[in-house]
Amino acid sequence: MNWRINPEAGPIFRQIVDSVKAGLARGTLSPGAKLPSARVLAETLRVNPNTVIRAFEALEREGITETRRGLGTYIREEVDVAAIRETLIRQAAQRYLEEARALGLSSDEALRALEEVMHAGKS
Amino acid sequence: MLAKVEGVEKRYLKNQALSGVNLKLKAEQVVGLLGLNGAGKTTLLKLLAGLLLPDRGRVEVLGWPPRRVRGQLVYLPEQDPWPAWATPRDLARLMSALFPDFDHGRFHELMAFMEVPKRPLGQMSRGQKARARLAVALARKARLYLLDEPLAGIDLISRDRILKALVREWRSQATIVLSTHEVGEAEGLFDRAVFLKEGRVVLDAEVEALRQQGKSVVETFKEVLA
Repeated sequence: MNWRINPEAGPIFRQIVDSVKAGLARGTLSPGAKLPSARVLAETLRVNPNTVIRAFEALEREGITETRRGLGTYIREEVDVAAIRETLIRQAAQRYLEEARALGLSSDEALRALEEVMHAGKS
Repeated sequence: MLAKVEGVEKRYLKNQALSGVNLKLKAEQVVGLLGLNGAGKTTLLKLLAGLLLPDRGRVEVLGWPPRRVRGQLVYLPEQDPWPAWATPRDLARLMSALFPDFDHGRFHELMAFMEVPKRPLGQMSRGQKARARLAVALARKARLYLLDEPLAGIDLISRDRILKALVREWRSQATIVLSTHEVGEAEGLFDRAVFLKEGRVVLDAEVEALRQQGKSVVETFKEVLA
Protein backbone atom coordinates (compact mmCIF):
# COMPACT_ATOMS: atom_id res chain seq x y z
CA MET A 1 0.00 0.00 0.00
CA ASN A 2 1.40 3.30 -1.12
CA TRP A 3 0.51 6.31 1.01
CA ARG A 4 1.37 9.49 -0.77
CA ILE A 5 1.12 12.49 1.46
CA ASN A 6 2.31 15.92 0.48
CA PRO A 7 1.42 18.83 2.79
CA GLU A 8 1.62 21.15 -0.21
CA ALA A 9 -1.08 19.24 -2.10
CA GLY A 10 -4.28 20.08 -0.25
CA PRO A 11 -5.84 18.73 2.95
CA ILE A 12 -3.99 15.70 4.30
CA PHE A 13 -7.20 13.89 5.33
CA ARG A 14 -8.37 14.09 1.70
CA GLN A 15 -5.04 12.66 0.51
CA ILE A 16 -5.39 9.69 2.88
CA VAL A 17 -8.91 9.04 1.55
CA ASP A 18 -7.61 9.27 -2.03
CA SER A 19 -4.70 6.92 -1.24
CA VAL A 20 -7.16 4.26 -0.08
CA LYS A 21 -9.28 4.70 -3.21
CA ALA A 22 -6.22 4.56 -5.45
CA GLY A 23 -5.05 1.42 -3.62
CA LEU A 24 -8.41 -0.24 -4.29
CA ALA A 25 -8.48 0.83 -7.93
CA ARG A 26 -4.96 -0.47 -8.49
CA GLY A 27 -5.50 -3.67 -6.59
CA THR A 28 -2.82 -3.06 -3.96
CA LEU A 29 -5.69 -2.97 -1.45
CA SER A 30 -8.51 -5.55 -1.57
CA PRO A 31 -12.02 -5.66 -0.21
CA GLY A 32 -11.92 -7.15 3.28
CA ALA A 33 -8.38 -5.88 3.93
CA LYS A 34 -7.56 -4.41 7.31
CA LEU A 35 -6.25 -0.86 7.42
CA PRO A 36 -3.53 0.06 9.90
CA SER A 37 -4.86 1.68 13.08
CA ALA A 38 -5.16 5.45 13.02
CA ARG A 39 -2.29 5.73 15.46
CA VAL A 40 0.06 3.50 13.51
CA LEU A 41 -0.79 5.24 10.25
CA ALA A 42 -0.28 8.65 11.88
CA GLU A 43 3.15 7.51 13.03
CA THR A 44 4.08 6.15 9.63
CA LEU A 45 3.03 9.34 7.87
CA ARG A 46 4.23 11.70 10.63
CA VAL A 47 0.83 13.36 10.70
CA ASN A 48 -1.61 14.30 13.41
CA PRO A 49 -3.73 11.33 14.60
CA ASN A 50 -6.82 13.60 14.41
CA THR A 51 -6.24 13.96 10.67
CA VAL A 52 -6.12 10.20 10.16
CA ILE A 53 -9.26 9.73 12.26
CA ARG A 54 -10.99 12.33 10.13
CA ALA A 55 -9.94 10.46 6.98
CA PHE A 56 -11.24 7.17 8.38
CA GLU A 57 -14.56 8.82 9.21
CA ALA A 58 -14.83 10.13 5.66
CA LEU A 59 -14.07 6.66 4.25
CA GLU A 60 -16.74 5.14 6.43
CA ARG A 61 -19.28 7.77 5.37
CA GLU A 62 -18.52 6.99 1.74
CA GLY A 63 -19.22 3.34 2.41
CA ILE A 64 -15.66 2.23 1.67
CA THR A 65 -14.64 1.06 5.12
CA GLU A 66 -16.31 -0.22 8.25
CA THR A 67 -15.14 -0.25 11.82
CA ARG A 68 -15.39 -3.59 13.54
CA ARG A 69 -15.53 -2.92 17.19
CA GLY A 70 -12.35 -3.85 18.99
CA LEU A 71 -10.81 -5.16 15.79
CA GLY A 72 -10.08 -2.13 13.66
CA THR A 73 -10.98 -0.58 10.33
CA TYR A 74 -11.59 -2.83 7.33
CA ILE A 75 -12.36 -2.27 3.67
CA ARG A 76 -15.95 -3.41 3.20
CA GLU A 77 -16.37 -6.67 1.30
CA GLU A 78 -19.09 -5.19 -0.87
CA VAL A 79 -17.16 -2.06 -1.86
CA ASP A 80 -17.67 -1.23 -5.53
CA VAL A 81 -14.10 -1.25 -6.83
CA ALA A 82 -15.22 -0.89 -10.43
CA ALA A 83 -17.10 2.32 -9.60
CA ILE A 84 -14.09 3.74 -7.77
CA ARG A 85 -11.85 2.87 -10.70
CA GLU A 86 -14.33 4.49 -13.07
CA THR A 87 -14.39 7.68 -11.00
CA LEU A 88 -10.61 7.85 -10.82
CA ILE A 89 -10.12 7.36 -14.55
CA ARG A 90 -12.73 10.02 -15.26
CA GLN A 91 -10.93 12.42 -12.94
CA ALA A 92 -7.65 11.66 -14.72
CA ALA A 93 -9.36 12.21 -18.09
CA GLN A 94 -10.74 15.51 -16.83
CA ARG A 95 -7.26 16.62 -15.77
CA TYR A 96 -5.89 15.63 -19.17
CA LEU A 97 -8.60 17.56 -20.96
CA GLU A 98 -8.01 20.66 -18.83
CA GLU A 99 -4.29 20.47 -19.55
CA ALA A 100 -4.95 20.12 -23.29
CA ARG A 101 -7.32 23.10 -23.24
CA ALA A 102 -4.82 25.15 -21.28
CA LEU A 103 -2.37 24.41 -24.09
CA GLY A 104 -4.93 25.69 -26.59
CA LEU A 105 -5.86 22.30 -28.09
CA SER A 106 -9.37 21.48 -29.21
CA SER A 107 -11.13 18.37 -27.86
CA ASP A 108 -10.49 16.59 -31.17
CA GLU A 109 -6.80 17.43 -31.07
CA ALA A 110 -6.57 16.26 -27.48
CA LEU A 111 -8.25 12.97 -28.40
CA ARG A 112 -5.94 12.51 -31.38
CA ALA A 113 -2.87 13.09 -29.20
CA LEU A 114 -4.12 10.45 -26.78
CA GLU A 115 -4.66 7.97 -29.61
CA GLU A 116 -1.24 8.64 -31.04
CA VAL A 117 0.41 8.02 -27.68
CA MET A 118 -1.59 4.80 -27.30
CA HIS A 119 -0.55 3.55 -30.73
CA ALA A 120 3.06 4.51 -30.12
CA GLY A 121 2.91 2.54 -26.88
CA LYS A 122 1.64 -0.56 -28.67
CA SER A 123 4.29 -0.81 -31.36
CA MET B 1 -10.43 25.85 27.36
CA LEU B 2 -7.00 24.65 28.37
CA ALA B 3 -5.09 27.91 28.39
CA LYS B 4 -5.70 31.54 27.64
CA VAL B 5 -3.44 34.47 26.86
CA GLU B 6 -5.19 37.85 26.94
CA GLY B 7 -3.83 41.20 25.87
CA VAL B 8 -0.32 40.25 26.88
CA GLU B 9 2.56 42.71 26.68
CA LYS B 10 6.10 41.79 27.55
CA ARG B 11 9.13 44.01 27.32
CA TYR B 12 12.80 43.33 28.09
CA LEU B 13 14.51 46.66 28.77
CA LYS B 14 14.07 48.49 25.48
CA ASN B 15 12.98 45.46 23.55
CA GLN B 16 9.25 44.89 23.11
CA ALA B 17 9.04 41.07 23.00
CA LEU B 18 5.25 40.68 22.79
CA SER B 19 2.53 43.23 22.14
CA GLY B 20 -1.20 42.65 22.44
CA VAL B 21 -1.03 38.88 22.18
CA ASN B 22 -4.29 36.92 22.48
CA LEU B 23 -4.39 33.17 22.24
CA LYS B 24 -6.77 30.43 23.31
CA LEU B 25 -5.54 26.87 23.54
CA LYS B 26 -8.07 24.08 23.34
CA ALA B 27 -7.53 20.63 24.77
CA GLU B 28 -6.33 17.92 22.41
CA GLN B 29 -4.54 20.02 19.86
CA VAL B 30 -1.08 20.15 18.43
CA VAL B 31 -0.26 23.79 17.85
CA GLY B 32 2.69 24.96 15.80
CA LEU B 33 4.09 28.23 17.12
CA LEU B 34 5.85 29.62 14.09
CA GLY B 35 8.02 32.60 13.52
CA LEU B 36 11.51 33.76 12.76
CA ASN B 37 14.14 34.14 15.46
CA GLY B 38 13.24 37.00 17.76
CA ALA B 39 9.52 36.87 16.92
CA GLY B 40 8.62 36.18 20.55
CA LYS B 41 8.06 32.42 20.46
CA THR B 42 10.22 31.63 23.49
CA THR B 43 8.78 34.53 25.48
CA LEU B 44 5.24 33.31 24.81
CA LEU B 45 6.13 29.74 25.83
CA LYS B 46 7.82 30.96 29.01
CA LEU B 47 4.76 33.03 29.90
CA LEU B 48 2.55 29.97 29.42
CA ALA B 49 4.97 27.95 31.55
CA GLY B 50 4.85 30.57 34.31
CA LEU B 51 8.58 31.25 34.04
CA LEU B 52 7.89 34.86 33.11
CA LEU B 53 5.13 37.20 34.16
CA PRO B 54 3.47 39.53 31.66
CA ASP B 55 3.89 43.30 32.06
CA ARG B 56 0.27 43.65 31.10
CA GLY B 57 -2.53 41.22 30.33
CA ARG B 58 -3.31 37.77 31.63
CA VAL B 59 -2.09 34.22 31.19
CA GLU B 60 -4.14 31.30 32.51
CA VAL B 61 -3.70 27.56 32.33
CA LEU B 62 -6.73 25.50 33.40
CA GLY B 63 -8.17 28.70 34.82
CA TRP B 64 -5.19 29.46 37.03
CA PRO B 65 -1.97 31.41 36.80
CA PRO B 66 0.53 28.92 35.29
CA ARG B 67 2.63 28.80 38.47
CA ARG B 68 -0.32 27.34 40.36
CA VAL B 69 -0.63 24.40 37.97
CA ARG B 70 3.01 23.52 37.34
CA GLY B 71 2.18 19.86 37.79
CA GLN B 72 -0.05 20.07 34.72
CA LEU B 73 2.49 21.53 32.37
CA VAL B 74 5.77 20.54 30.86
CA TYR B 75 8.21 23.08 29.47
CA LEU B 76 11.12 21.94 27.35
CA PRO B 77 13.53 24.86 26.98
CA GLU B 78 15.63 25.32 23.89
CA GLN B 79 18.83 25.50 25.89
CA ASP B 80 19.97 22.41 27.71
CA PRO B 81 20.13 23.05 31.47
CA TRP B 82 21.62 19.65 32.35
CA PRO B 83 25.25 19.03 33.33
CA ALA B 84 27.42 17.08 30.87
CA TRP B 85 28.08 14.23 33.29
CA ALA B 86 24.37 13.43 33.74
CA THR B 87 23.10 10.24 32.12
CA PRO B 88 19.47 9.81 31.01
CA ARG B 89 18.97 7.77 34.18
CA ASP B 90 20.15 10.67 36.31
CA LEU B 91 17.68 12.94 34.54
CA ALA B 92 14.86 10.48 35.13
CA ARG B 93 15.72 10.25 38.83
CA LEU B 94 15.81 14.02 39.20
CA MET B 95 12.55 14.51 37.29
CA SER B 96 10.68 11.90 39.27
CA ALA B 97 11.83 13.58 42.48
CA LEU B 98 10.50 16.91 41.20
CA PHE B 99 7.34 15.70 39.51
CA PRO B 100 5.18 12.90 40.89
CA ASP B 101 3.60 12.41 37.44
CA PHE B 102 6.91 11.26 35.94
CA ASP B 103 6.36 7.78 34.52
CA HIS B 104 9.50 5.62 34.52
CA GLY B 105 7.95 2.95 32.32
CA ARG B 106 7.06 5.48 29.72
CA PHE B 107 10.48 7.09 29.96
CA HIS B 108 12.25 3.78 29.21
CA GLU B 109 9.84 3.06 26.38
CA LEU B 110 10.55 6.46 24.85
CA MET B 111 14.31 6.04 25.26
CA ALA B 112 14.14 2.70 23.46
CA PHE B 113 11.79 4.00 20.78
CA MET B 114 14.03 6.97 20.00
CA GLU B 115 17.15 4.84 20.38
CA VAL B 116 18.87 7.07 22.90
CA PRO B 117 22.22 5.75 24.16
CA LYS B 118 22.71 5.40 27.92
CA ARG B 119 25.89 7.51 28.09
CA PRO B 120 26.32 10.86 29.83
CA LEU B 121 24.84 13.79 27.89
CA GLY B 122 28.32 15.23 27.35
CA GLN B 123 29.19 12.20 25.23
CA MET B 124 26.11 12.36 23.04
CA SER B 125 25.62 14.05 19.69
CA ARG B 126 23.31 17.04 19.60
CA GLY B 127 20.58 14.92 18.07
CA GLN B 128 20.90 12.19 20.69
CA LYS B 129 20.79 14.79 23.42
CA ALA B 130 17.67 16.34 21.92
CA ARG B 131 16.03 12.90 21.87
CA ALA B 132 17.01 12.24 25.50
CA ARG B 133 15.57 15.60 26.58
CA LEU B 134 12.34 14.94 24.73
CA ALA B 135 12.03 11.53 26.36
CA VAL B 136 12.34 13.20 29.76
CA ALA B 137 9.74 15.82 28.82
CA LEU B 138 7.18 13.40 27.37
CA ALA B 139 7.52 10.93 30.24
CA ARG B 140 5.49 13.27 32.40
CA LYS B 141 1.71 13.01 32.31
CA ALA B 142 0.70 16.62 31.91
CA ARG B 143 -2.07 18.45 30.13
CA LEU B 144 0.07 21.03 28.37
CA TYR B 145 3.45 20.38 26.74
CA LEU B 146 5.40 23.46 25.76
CA LEU B 147 8.29 22.48 23.50
CA ASP B 148 10.69 25.19 22.45
CA GLU B 149 12.43 24.36 19.18
CA PRO B 150 12.79 20.62 19.77
CA LEU B 151 13.89 20.16 16.15
CA ALA B 152 16.41 22.97 15.80
CA GLY B 153 19.98 22.30 14.80
CA ILE B 154 19.85 18.51 14.92
CA ASP B 155 20.35 15.80 12.33
CA LEU B 156 17.64 14.48 10.03
CA ILE B 157 17.34 11.07 11.70
CA SER B 158 16.91 12.63 15.13
CA ARG B 159 14.28 15.02 13.80
CA ASP B 160 12.41 12.12 12.27
CA ARG B 161 12.56 10.09 15.49
CA ILE B 162 11.34 13.06 17.49
CA LEU B 163 8.40 13.65 15.16
CA LYS B 164 7.47 9.99 15.30
CA ALA B 165 7.70 9.97 19.09
CA LEU B 166 5.49 13.05 19.24
CA VAL B 167 2.81 11.37 17.14
CA ARG B 168 3.09 8.23 19.21
CA GLU B 169 3.00 9.90 22.59
CA TRP B 170 0.43 12.53 21.90
CA ARG B 171 -2.64 11.33 23.70
CA SER B 172 -6.08 12.75 23.82
CA GLN B 173 -6.50 15.39 26.51
CA ALA B 174 -2.96 16.63 26.06
CA THR B 175 -2.14 19.75 24.12
CA ILE B 176 1.26 20.27 22.58
CA VAL B 177 2.60 23.67 21.63
CA LEU B 178 5.72 23.28 19.56
CA SER B 179 7.75 26.25 18.39
CA THR B 180 9.86 25.88 15.31
CA HIS B 181 11.28 27.80 12.41
CA GLU B 182 11.77 24.57 10.45
CA VAL B 183 8.20 24.23 9.39
CA GLY B 184 8.23 21.73 6.56
CA GLU B 185 8.93 18.50 8.40
CA ALA B 186 6.66 19.25 11.33
CA GLU B 187 3.64 20.65 9.54
CA GLY B 188 1.81 17.33 9.15
CA LEU B 189 1.68 17.16 12.92
CA PHE B 190 -0.14 20.40 13.55
CA ASP B 191 -3.84 20.90 14.01
CA ARG B 192 -3.30 24.57 14.10
CA ALA B 193 -0.58 27.08 13.30
CA VAL B 194 0.01 30.36 15.12
CA PHE B 195 2.30 32.75 13.29
CA LEU B 196 4.21 35.29 15.34
CA LYS B 197 5.92 38.27 13.83
CA GLU B 198 7.69 40.96 15.81
CA GLY B 199 5.80 40.10 18.98
CA ARG B 200 2.35 39.94 17.45
CA VAL B 201 0.12 37.09 16.34
CA VAL B 202 -0.28 37.75 12.62
CA LEU B 203 -2.23 34.61 11.76
CA ASP B 204 -3.89 31.83 13.73
CA ALA B 205 -5.37 29.12 11.51
CA GLU B 206 -6.41 25.48 11.29
CA VAL B 207 -3.82 23.92 8.99
CA GLU B 208 -6.21 21.67 7.07
CA ALA B 209 -8.30 24.77 6.33
CA LEU B 210 -5.18 26.47 4.96
CA ARG B 211 -4.54 23.44 2.77
CA GLN B 212 -8.16 23.54 1.63
CA GLN B 213 -7.41 27.02 0.32
CA GLY B 214 -4.46 25.56 -1.54
CA LYS B 215 -1.73 26.70 0.81
CA SER B 216 0.64 24.61 2.84
CA VAL B 217 1.93 25.85 6.18
CA VAL B 218 5.33 26.41 4.59
CA GLU B 219 3.84 28.61 1.88
CA THR B 220 1.77 30.51 4.42
CA PHE B 221 4.89 30.95 6.56
CA LYS B 222 6.71 32.61 3.67
CA GLU B 223 3.70 34.72 2.77
CA VAL B 224 2.84 35.92 6.25
CA LEU B 225 6.29 36.35 7.70
CA ALA B 226 8.21 37.72 4.73
